[in-house]
Amino acid sequence: MKKLLAFTKKDPLFVLGATFLVLLVIFATFGPNIRNAMIHPAGNSNFYAVYDPVSGPHEVVGGKYLLGTDEQGRDVISRIAAGARISLTVGFIVEIIALVVGVTIGVLGVFAPKWLSMILMRFTDGMFAFPDILLAVLIIGTIPPTKLANVPLGKLMPVIIALSITAWPSIARLVKGQVATLKDREFVIGAKASGASTFYLVTRHILPQLTGILLAISMIDIAGTILAESTLSFLGIGVQAPEPSWGSMINSAREGMGSYPVALVWPCLILSLTVFSLNFVGDGLRAMFDPKSK
Amino acid sequence: MRLVKAILLRLLFGAFSLFFISFVTFVAGEFAPGDPATIIAGEKASLETVQQIRHNLGLDQPWPGRYARYVSNAVHGDFGVSYYGTHEPVKDILARTVPMTVKLATQAMVLAAAFGIIFGTIAAVYQRRFADRTILTLSTLGVTTPNFVLGPILVYIFCLKMDVLPLTWSTTLVAPEFYYFLLPVVILSSRPAALITRLTRASMIDTLDQEFIRTATAKGVPRRRLLFKHALRNAILPVITTIGTSFGFLLTGSFVIERYFLMPGLGSAVIEGIQQINMPVVQAGVLVTGAMFIFLNLAVDILQPILDPRIRESQV
Repeated sequence: MKKLLAFTKKDPLFVLGATFLVLLVIFATFGPNIRNAMIHPAGNSNFYAVYDPVSGPHEVVGGKYLLGTDEQGRDVISRIAAGARISLTVGFIVEIIALVVGVTIGVLGVFAPKWLSMILMRFTDGMFAFPDILLAVLIIGTIPPTKLANVPLGKLMPVIIALSITAWPSIARLVKGQVATLKDREFVIGAKASGASTFYLVTRHILPQLTGILLAISMIDIAGTILAESTLSFLGIGVQAPEPSWGSMINSAREGMGSYPVALVWPCLILSLTVFSLNFVGDGLRAMFDPKSK
Repeated sequence: MRLVKAILLRLLFGAFSLFFISFVTFVAGEFAPGDPATIIAGEKASLETVQQIRHNLGLDQPWPGRYARYVSNAVHGDFGVSYYGTHEPVKDILARTVPMTVKLATQAMVLAAAFGIIFGTIAAVYQRRFADRTILTLSTLGVTTPNFVLGPILVYIFCLKMDVLPLTWSTTLVAPEFYYFLLPVVILSSRPAALITRLTRASMIDTLDQEFIRTATAKGVPRRRLLFKHALRNAILPVITTIGTSFGFLLTGSFVIERYFLMPGLGSAVIEGIQQINMPVVQAGVLVTGAMFIFLNLAVDILQPILDPRIRESQV
């Protein structure tokens, strides 16, 4: 307890961000179902709070439905929770894929035969020729939404594919740089001299050194992915209705902004808080694992 | 000689990037749903007509041939025709929409650069004092706040509460164009402005710490002359690179802003293209945006060793 207090004093933003993220995960996991049980009308077994209207549109904030209802009379807090579920799922899956691909290509960029590493690194460089979400927009354009309707997470698949493809190059570049310097450190050369194979060197000596920095970068990348997912959904080409995404909620609130501006507050607020928290936690982790960055 | 080699290397990389981006958009077109020949011919067309169109478009050739044709058409400004409506040539759609996006992005870039360099310098000069802390906090917020969160806040204040600015673009402008551009440009520039502020501050602090500044101070160079002539001129070089990369962000950021303010720019056209599965428009939009991004970065990259002899020496 004392340790925690001391730590809070040292990096209050990290603790604040981490606390928010833990609460957010709980909210996303249980929120939709709890809300559903709370406002479920008796006798209607097909009702689900996230998709179905519970009252007239734009029920006031603080009344029966806490954050009110949206333009179709759906419970806002249920949809925010379901949106959190979507954002976190997309962020997490995309980051896992990006890490696997990025680390593999980064390591190969150093240890593979020259011709292969050359091709891989030029390909990685090429990916940087696309600004931001432009590539994601292009990829989504090529995936017909109906094709993926039956796979698990089908409605999220186009977004996950597009963002995974855009997320790995920065990790590959980072890993390549780190591995290239670690490769020449004494402990690696020593292990090599005592007969360790390259695979053993990479998995046992080099990659464990990178876990800290990769964890920190992942947090910041997940923030970027969640933001990108919201941007795509805001543009109407990300997560499709009736699935609630914070981005599409912001867009529909924008349409009704003149008469009911409060609707904009909730999705904007939770999106900003999530992005801030992930960045705080990422920065805190980086400071912990890499004292030089401070 | 070294300078020439540095520039040649960069040109080569620019050419590679252009090849890469054109190849990726070509592949995207190959994978896209829908057969261009059938769509252009219309649903009632006979098989022969479809075959004829397919042959005319060169779609019956193997893929290297199709790629070569795609590139040569694009270079000549021919991006095919839109699949929908009157089959308008994509070239005309681009001519209609690109100027607005470029205008938005350029104005935002100028605003961001001016704001960032001025406030970054102020923060560096008053390092660790009140002005510096305020600027630093605001710029941290500016970097992390997404456009479509800042957008509603400003729109609520200026359009709905104070009612001094128009809410969205309209085809018949009732006020000077400037009023319609003001909010979009400010919102779009917030993030690059914050980035440039932070970078200018860091670079300026670094420069002010160097010996030639101390020498100049000792020689009695007036403070203002020292800051602007000696320090800022050195500190600004890394900032120029960021201006290049930020421009790419502005081009895609403009997609969001255009949607927000219902402005008929390239972003709106591309998003509409995706929703209608109208691939030629999407391909051309991405290709043109990507090419602008590459050329701008190339210009910055080439400018850098010319402006900064240190880079010239170290990077070749």
